[in-house]
Amino acid sequence: MKKMIVGVLLLLGLAMIPLSLSASDVAKENLNQDYKSKSVTELFVSLYESTGINAMINPVEGMVMHGLPISTFNQGAGRVVMMGICFLLIYLAIAKGFEPLLLIPIAFGGFLANIPVADIAGPEGFLGILFNMGISSGLFPLMIFMGVGAMTDFGPLIANPKTALLGGAAQLGIFGTIVGAAVLTEYTGFINFSLKDACAIGIIGGADGPTSIFVATRLAPDLLGAIAVAAYSYMALVPIIQPPIMRALTTKEDRLIKMEQLREVSKIEKILFPITVMILCILMLPDATPLIGALAFGNLARESGVVKRLSDTMENALINIVTIFLGLSVGSKLAAEKFLVPETLGILFLGLAAFSMGTAGGVLMAKLMNKFSKHKVNPLIGSAGVSAVPMAARVSNKEGMKEDPTNMLLMHAMGPNVAGVIGSAVAAGVLLSIFK
Amino acid sequence: MEVNLIVETLKFLVLGMSTVFMFLALMVVVLELQAKIIMKYFPPPKENSLVSNSTQELFQKGNFSVVAAIAASIRSYKKKSK
Repeated sequence: MKKMIVGVLLLLGLAMIPLSLSASDVAKENLNQDYKSKSVTELFVSLYESTGINAMINPVEGMVMHGLPISTFNQGAGRVVMMGICFLLIYLAIAKGFEPLLLIPIAFGGFLANIPVADIAGPEGFLGILFNMGISSGLFPLMIFMGVGAMTDFGPLIANPKTALLGGAAQLGIFGTIVGAAVLTEYTGFINFSLKDACAIGIIGGADGPTSIFVATRLAPDLLGAIAVAAYSYMALVPIIQPPIMRALTTKEDRLIKMEQLREVSKIEKILFPITVMILCILMLPDATPLIGALAFGNLARESGVVKRLSDTMENALINIVTIFLGLSVGSKLAAEKFLVPETLGILFLGLAAFSMGTAGGVLMAKLMNKFSKHKVNPLIGSAGVSAVPMAARVSNKEGMKEDPTNMLLMHAMGPNVAGVIGSAVAAGVLLSIFK
Repeated sequence: MEVNLIVETLKFLVLGMSTVFMFLALMVVVLELQAKIIMKYFPPPKENSLVSNSTQELFQKGNFSVVAAIAASIRSYKKKSK
């Protein structure tokens, strides 16, 4: 009986073989329909045609990618130049420690975006997908702001609220630069900025990366790459740009001013602070509420003390993840056809002007306040008003200690420093409201 | 009509700086008011509630009996350990 069953099964199996064979033959024919026989030389030539070398040496005339015509220069040498710039940024980040957390992702993103053929920064490539997801939508900068809120202690500002005015004066950098951009457009032939472009460039003076990106995506998406690179590289250069301006605008007596010790701030004040700022913002400038709201949420999570897990995630894991995505997708705007334009040169120049003006504004405001107030303010902390937390505050502290090693200004400088973050968010709200 | 860029941006300068200052000045006023209210109705807990263990601090506050007690206990401990 058993033998019978085995025999039947065997027969069935044998009968199936020709059937399956003919099925695979059909599949093979289908597969090979679009393939023509090629000689070995032809195979090598077609491989060569798909290499990066060929794409760079033999650019295609009149190539159009995603609606943007790309010149032959930008298909070849331009890409190489951009890769060189990206490697320079990577070198600065690694060897000189210039904002490595951001410059490395940005520079590497730029490197990837300039690879020919692969089109990584296109809408189908992964950088393009990240860009559309987080930057075009304005999501990533807001998430970074949440983390900044969870990291920042507003205590020094609450203890001495007057110093917030220094953070306001330093925003002169933003609006002064807008005027500067207009002047450049009027008086140079080759640089052309529209009013929106000018405003997006001015925000570099806020010395606040996420705010700059947030405004640039809304007002001048084409200039985003140059604006982000300028904002972050000048933030890294704060210790070099600020001190000469600070010294030029202050006298020795100014720099020797000692400030009263800050009072202690109670927990309840710290908890109420984000809510108070939120209410002010809702009443005066709802356009700034996305930025201020994210900041206030992060700060409330920190100060409430009951959601340690959430605030811990925001200030570590979340901000790190978003920084990776933000950096890479900003880098995707470093493609040659978008970056190698005369406007970039103008942006780099204006960014420097913006930082210098902001620094000067803060220092001069501190001197003005000393004329009217009994409680003297050391003008060196004025420069910290240009956000760039906490680098600018450290610069103030260092300059103060150069004159008098016992004069610790760090905590005093943190006040204008964090007020600068709020100030630039407000300035961003003003700019966005103009173009509504 | 031709828009004069520079004049336009100067207007933005005035608008922007005054808004930023108004916002921050209002914040200063509100924060100072808030601090006063909180100080009045929710004063921070007094330092005394914390138990201090340093004899020097107790001495400065005039808590001589506690200082004497600590000194006595140290002396008796040293005697025992001899």
